[in-house]
Order: sequence, then structure tokens, then C-alpha cells
Amino acid sequence: MHAPADPAPLPGDRRHPGWIAWALLAPMVFWLAAFVVVPAAILLVYSFCERDEVGGVVFRFTLENYQRVFDPVYLRIFARSIGYAALTTAICVVVGYPVAYTIARASEVWRHRLLLLVMVPFWTSFLIRTYAWITILKQEGLLNGFLQAMHAGGGPFNLLYTPAAVVIGLVYAYLPFMILPIYGSAEKLDNSLIEAAYDLGAGPVRAFSAVIVPLTMPGIAAGTLLVFVPAIGMFAITDLMGGAKVPMIGNVIQNQFLQARNWPFGAALGVVFMLMFVVTYGLLQRRGARLAG
Amino acid sequence: MKKLHSLLLSLATLVALPAVHAAGEVNLFGWSEYVPQEVLDGFTKETGIKVNFETYASNEELLSKLVAGAGAYDIVQPSDYTAEVMIRRKMLAPLDRQKLTNLKNIGPQYRGMVHDPEDKYTVPYMTGTVGIVVNTAVVKDPIKGYRDVFQPKHRDRLVVLNDNREIVTWAFYALGLPANEVTAANLAKARPVVASWIKLVKVFDSDSPKTALLNGDVDIGIVWSGEAAILWNEDKKFQYVLPAEGAHQFVDVLAIPTTAKHKDEAHQLINYILRPEVAKLVSDKFPYTNPNLAARRLLSPEQLANPASYPQAGNLQPFRDIGKAAADIDQLVTDLKSAN
Amino acid sequence: MIEIRGVTKRFGSFTAVDNLSLSVRAGEFLTLLGPSGCGKTTLLRLLAGFEMPDEGVILLDGQDVSHLPPYRRSVNQVFQSYALFPHLSVRDNVGFGLRMQNVPAPEAAARVAEALEMVSLREQADRLPHQLSGGQRQRVALARAIVCRPKVLLLDEPLSALDAKLRHNMQLELKHLQRRLGLTFVFVTHDQEEALTMSDRIAIIHRGRIEQLGAAGEIYHRPRTPFAADFIGQANLLQVAVVGRNGTTARVRVGGGLELTVASAELPAGARTALVSIRPEKICISKQRLDTENLFEATIEEEIFQGATDQLRLVTTQGTRLHALVANESAMQEAFHEGDRVYCGLHLDDLVIVQAE
Ligand SMILES: Nc1ncnc2c1ncn2[C@@H]1O[C@H](COP(=O)(O)OP(=O)(O)O)[C@@H](O)[C@H]1O
Ligand SMILES: [Mg+2]
Repeated sequence: MHAPADPAPLPGDRRHPGWIAWALLAPMVFWLAAFVVVPAAILLVYSFCERDEVGGVVFRFTLENYQRVFDPVYLRIFARSIGYAALTTAICVVVGYPVAYTIARASEVWRHRLLLLVMVPFWTSFLIRTYAWITILKQEGLLNGFLQAMHAGGGPFNLLYTPAAVVIGLVYAYLPFMILPIYGSAEKLDNSLIEAAYDLGAGPVRAFSAVIVPLTMPGIAAGTLLVFVPAIGMFAITDLMGGAKVPMIGNVIQNQFLQARNWPFGAALGVVFMLMFVVTYGLLQRRGARLAG
Repeated sequence: MKKLHSLLLSLATLVALPAVHAAGEVNLFGWSEYVPQEVLDGFTKETGIKVNFETYASNEELLSKLVAGAGAYDIVQPSDYTAEVMIRRKMLAPLDRQKLTNLKNIGPQYRGMVHDPEDKYTVPYMTGTVGIVVNTAVVKDPIKGYRDVFQPKHRDRLVVLNDNREIVTWAFYALGLPANEVTAANLAKARPVVASWIKLVKVFDSDSPKTALLNGDVDIGIVWSGEAAILWNEDKKFQYVLPAEGAHQFVDVLAIPTTAKHKDEAHQLINYILRPEVAKLVSDKFPYTNPNLAARRLLSPEQLANPASYPQAGNLQPFRDIGKAAADIDQLVTDLKSAN
Repeated sequence: MIEIRGVTKRFGSFTAVDNLSLSVRAGEFLTLLGPSGCGKTTLLRLLAGFEMPDEGVILLDGQDVSHLPPYRRSVNQVFQSYALFPHLSVRDNVGFGLRMQNVPAPEAAARVAEALEMVSLREQADRLPHQLSGGQRQRVALARAIVCRPKVLLLDEPLSALDAKLRHNMQLELKHLQRRLGLTFVFVTHDQEEALTMSDRIAIIHRGRIEQLGAAGEIYHRPRTPFAADFIGQANLLQVAVVGRNGTTARVRVGGGLELTVASAELPAGARTALVSIRPEKICISKQRLDTENLFEATIEEEIFQGATDQLRLVTTQGTRLHALVANESAMQEAFHEGDRVYCGLHLDDLVIVQAE
């Protein structure tokens, strides 16, 4: 068999958008500059500054803030925040994947209905939804009431203001951000690829792990990014549902601005936090590139 | 550096730009959930002066906005120790007493306080204390002070303010240390006490500590007196106790920043709030201690009997500004909490 | 090898495969041929296990597989869109089935290498599918299925995405490969030329049923139904009346009065009318009289140049219209032009009775 000539150049090689493209991008560029680049630059500048007694920023160069970031106290808090975020992300993947996949494979009518359901929580404010969880989990709340009605022994259970409550709150808050990107890639998944896997002898489990998961990896990666990084910085849920007992890095940053009058240190923590985002993004990007080809 | 500073300042100002000022306006920058809307509406109705109301959630937020140069506020509402530092840094304008004819309604015990000994810059708005609220339906032992609260048997039955300085100050009281001398040595002494206390707490909450008590998740709290007053109104089983070792008394004041553009209207609004019937409206909505004695006479016996609003005399002390030590307190408590 | 017995598949109220029976012999190249929408893909998917029959059974090597999932059947499919795994290299695509069947790695590697060699893709083993040309992808899909050594290989219009020349090459390659490996192929196409080129046997499918099943030559030369005659090779279909019988032959008359002699063997006794199929290339055209059982005169109405052949549109003296194909070999040959009067000759065998009543 003779090998035909090399394939045509791949699409996506036109890397130089024209001026129209730039014009269309202008609002976006402005938005990024005004609300991402400038604040990040301010944060970066502050993080190398000193402070005065009322919490004002004094523009004198110092590395002290960064030295403090690497104090074991804060490293431990970073580690804990990352741990909670990782657990949240893992649960979101495990719970969100089947949901997203089912939605993506449903008929068009059902797809739209189910997607709507996923997005319904966004119609109410985040705080109200978190308070709803408090009503469910509190000692005289719905869940304990239900368990008592069912005569489950040992109650009332201590559910609220525990690490488990924090994780429930985090998973609840971030689950849609995992479902939607996974849905996006699952919907694009060509059914004949799954059939091909079955055809070649893969049972449902192996078809899932060898074909479906790798091909929806971009969605999982995007979902992970959307869940993991914000979950690290989340403080409202740890306060409201965890009773603010164990500080997360978000609480610490918030405190620097609102209690400790130490903006430069808060800024330094923020900069490190942003670096973590960049690193996570880079890692996922590399992995995604490798898997998706 | 200088140039950069002013650039950043103007950027920050851009973000925080308050409403445009014109004649017949006053810009009030106050605590959220502290000024009843009907008070402001009543003022506008009577004088035709429009009130632009912006809120903040902490003294630090107020300070940082003012420090950042957002200068168009006409009235601010700092707590006593923040007012003290603002006076020291010449951020507050002297008041014109001639225009504050209702100042006479303020009780003598709320005049000449340490943050403003000559009453030159500030007028008390509401005052309160930080004390212990006990669900007496559950807790039968007498609770008199901090040491009674932080007992191993109350583990996971406690809510306290999520405010690091408050927590450290209670430890100072319990140890007999002067509440406002936040030195490294005193912090070192307080550290083990705070450490053992923190382990017992179930919820840290400054915004709505009453919730955990109402929900039955905890039985004892150390909370703002206003929160305790609301609890008592809900159910008389929630008893308020001023800690025997000493308690924080705060006064939130009204003041006019030096940068204010509508000082005259600001005086008018302050004087309006000082009216007995107006100050009563504040008490109705936010049951803290009203320093306006003329207004107190208008309150119902029920309101006056509320032990959280009008507690028995105790060992009350104000917070003083502690400057950069706030950060040391923050690090101490953060460290202890995260060791949990 | 495969026995399909009375299989029916419905989608809602629509019957895609209708009580269809068919047996596929070991080692043969069987083509399912039919127009788009006739149910070919559905039948193939029933064999592969992607659809379950509503009625009937499918036996593979004597075993009832009708309701086995695809991964439990030793058949493999080459998909129309190839369905190559975009995240796997050519090598891993081809090795996928062996991995799923837990073939030991060294053996799998050897078999993959062999399969890649067979389809001349050794050089491209480490590329990803999107880095290949259409023809290369086609061959990866083929290698991926063949490497599993299926009892039957199912191919659903595997060449339809290729351009004409490449497609022609691939037809020959496929056929060659099938013969060399002795594999059983069930091949789906709607292209009759492709079917004729490659198949041992052809099943013509029409509305979910088998219209005719037979060797490629038989299907071509002896269509059994009007549909089969028409679908393959644009036959001239003539409605005739039987006017007389004479031993092994019979006389029939076309509407306009043209009379023809046909073999009576295929004409049931007592049949009064029939449908006669005449392949265009079977009509001998000449300026001289010809020595054939049937001979009549016609005028060339139109001549269409088609490269290797000329297509002629003829009208007989009696007004019957026919089209014929003549080889366009050399200038030495008789040249035909529009308006020429010619003789048309037909042998007995070239008049095929497809229907009689
Ligand atoms: N999953 C399905 N649901 C409904 N109708 C289908 C489905 N699959 C095929 N059909 C219908 O069955 C008929 C035969 O389809 P198919 O087997 O794909 O035809 P072919 O491959 O011969 O073109 C078509 O009319 C098609 O619309
Ligand atoms: Mg098809």
C-alpha cells in the first residue's frame, strides 16, 4: 500500500488576527485591563510596601510581607485550604460527572430542562442559599427533625459548624461550575467513539475510563480550575457553615484588610494565591494538551 | 514613589467615588444595619435635604476608604477607638455646638469620654457592651464571667464574636491585664488562655451571633449587647450577663470629616438624630443602649427592662486605638485557630 | 458463520429491518447494497450489537448473539466516520482492542506492528489521528478492526469519504486484504459499482427486506426484481405481452409493436405479461446486419461521450426507446453519429425476465 502524501496543514494556523478582530476584542481587552490587570498590579505593588498604624499603605520597599507568608502558620493555612479545595473538587467531579454526562446524553428537550435545573440556584443570592443550608443542618433543623421522625437513634446530630458542613457548603456552591464544563465536553463527544470502544471489546467501565474520561478531560480540567481555585479562597462558607473555627486563606486575607489593618500583608497573600492559580492553570493546561492532543 | 502613590490613590478614589454633591445634600457613611431608613426619610421630608447613604461593615473599612482619599463624605460613624485615631490624625472637623441644640439630651456619663475628652469632634450615636448571653433553659450553672463560660463542659456549646481583638481582650480581663496595653509580653501571657478557649468554641460569628443561639446549636454566647437584646425579646430564657472581670463598652459616634463638603447639612442631620423622638426610632430598631436620655424616657418599660440594652452597672471599659498591634493580635489568633 | 433469521427492527412505528433472513458464509465478501435509508446500517448495527432485534435471532458460529452487547461479540466494525480515538496515537488506536481483551503486551505489540505493516502505516505509528490524511485514517480504522481477528468484519460505507481515485485503490486493497487473510466481510455500500467490484455475493436491500441475494455476476446479469434490475446498471426495462411459445423460446411484444424472442425457461407457464430487462452494454450496435436471435433497426437519437464508452439513445422503428453502451476503443471501430440508422442485436441470454404474471 502506498502512503498518500502528508496531510494538509492543521487548522488554527492563522495566528494573526486582523484589525477587525482587534476591534472586536477591544471591550474585552479594556475589561481585562481595568478589572484584572490594574487591580493585580496594585496588589503586587502593595505587597512590597509597609503599612502605617491606621492601615494606610506606606510606599517603602520591603520583603517582610513575603517572609511572613512563608511563616509556618500561614503555610499550614494554605495547606489546609488546598486540602479542603481538593476534597471539594474531587467530590464535585465524582458527583458532577455522572450528572453532566447524563444531561449531555439526554434528548434535546430533557437536556434543556435539566440544564435549567442546574442553573436555577444562580437565580437566588449565594448567601440566601447558604442560609438555607444552615436551616437544613442546624440542630433544630430539617435534617435532624427528619432523622428524629425516622427514629434514627443518637440524635440530634451535630451537623452544622463542622468540617463536613463546610465541605457540603463548598460542594453545593461549586457543583454547577463543575457540571457545566463537563457537560460542554460530554455533549461534543461523538457517540460513534463510544460504540467503537464497545466494539473493540471494552465493557462500560473500560469504555468509560479509556475513552470517555480522556475525551471529556478538557471539561474536567476546566471544571477543576473553576472549582479548585475559588474554593481555596472561599471564606464566606467557612465562616457561615464552619463557624469560622479554622481559618482558611480567604479568611486570613480578608482579616488583613478588615481587622488587622495590614493591607500589604493581605496583598502578599493575594499575590501568592494568584500565583497558585497560574500554576494550577499551567499544570492543567499541560495535562489537557497531552490528553486531548 | 510619590507619583505612583497618587496614581494609585486616584484609582482607588475612582472606584470609591461617592454620589455627586450639590446643594441640599448630605453624604452619610455609616454602619450597615445601624441607621433606620425612616430616620433619613423623616429628615429629608422635613428639610428637603437629600441623604446619600453608604455603608461599611467595619471600622477598618471606614478608615481605609478615608485614608485612600475618598473625601466626599459629610458624616461618618466610627466607633470610639477609631474616632480617637481619626482625631489624632486630624481627619475629623471640630463640631459647631451652636448648631447642635439637641446635644443636651445626651446623658452626662456619655460626655467627655476618653476618645474625645472635650466633646469637640464627636456626638454619641448608640452605645453598647460585649457580654455573655446564656440560654438559661439549658445552662443551669450560674455564669458570671469569662472563666465560667470557657469551661470544658461547654465545649462546642459556645458562640463568640469572630473578632480577634475582642477575644484577646477577654483573656486580658480574665488575667487582670489592662485591656488596652497590647504589648508583646501581655500577648505572651494571654496566649495559652486564648488557646484553651478557642478549642471550646463552636461558632465564631460577628455578623449574627444570635443565629446559632436561636437555632439551638449553642447555649452560651459572648456577643454584642444589641444581639443579646434581640434574643431576650425573642425569649426571656436568653439572659444577658456583663462579665465580672470586665467588659468592653463601645460608643459609636457621629462625626464630620475635615474633607466634608456639606458641613452645614451634616450638622442639621446630627442635630435631627439627637431629637428624642428620632433617637427613639433608632432604639426601636436596634436595641443597643441609647445615650440620649430624653429618648430613653420615650421608651416602653419593656424596652427599658431589657437587661442587654440597659444592663446593671458593671466594670466597663472602652477600647483604645492600638495601632499596629492589631496585626499582632490577628497573627496570634490566626495561629491558635489554625492549630486546632 | 452468521445466520440472521427473521430479524425485525422497528424505530417507533417505522420498520427499518423487516423480517429479514440471511446467512453469511465463512470467508466470503458479502455486500449489503441498497439506496440510502433502506436499513443497511441498521442491519449492520444489529450484527455488531449496537441495536437489539425486536424479533428474530442472529447466530454467530451457531451461538445466539441477538442480545449480547457489542463487547461480547467477536465481530468488529469499521465505522463510516472511522471513529478513531482522537487522544490516542495510531499505534494505541490499533492496539486498543487487544488491550481491552487483555492480550499480553508483547504479543499485542507484535500484532499491532504486523497490522500496521499490513496497511503500510508503520512510519505513522506515533502520530495522532488528526495528523493523518483521510486515506491513512481509513487504514488505521481497518487495522484497528482486523488486529482483533474478528470472526466477521463489518464495514459501513468505509470508503464513502474518500475521493474517487483513492477510493478505487482502496476497493482493490480491501478486496485483496480480505482474500489474503481469508476474513469474512460484511460490507455496506449504496454504490453499485463498488459492490460489483468487491463482492463475492451481494444482497440488495430495499425497505428493510432483501430484494435479491446472489453472486455479483448473477445480480448483475440476472436481476430478479424490477428494483434490482433498475438499481444496478440502469437496465432498459420493457413491459411486454407474451404472444407465443415455441419450445425453449417465447415471443413477446413491446407496447409499440416491437417483437422479441426470449428464453421461455424463465417465463412461467401461463404468464401473459412480463417485465424484461436489457443491460445497455448487451445491445450490439452495428451498421451491418447481425447474426443474433433478435435483430431490429433503430435510429440514434443522441450520442453521449463518456470516456471509455459512448452512451447511445435509440428509438426503434416501432417507437420503443432504449439506451445502449458501446465501447469507445479506437478510431478503427465503426463510429456512430446522431441520426444514423443502425441494427441492434440481442442474444437470447441478454433478455432477462424479471417479473411475469
Ligand atoms: N435510532 C433510530 N431512530 C429512529 N429511526 C432510525 C434510527 N436509526 C435509523 N433509523 C431510520 O431507519 C431507516 C434506515 O436507516 P439506516 O439503516 O441508517 O439506512 P441506510 O444505512 O441504509 O442508509 C432510516 O429511515 C432511518 O431514518
Ligand atoms: Mg447508513
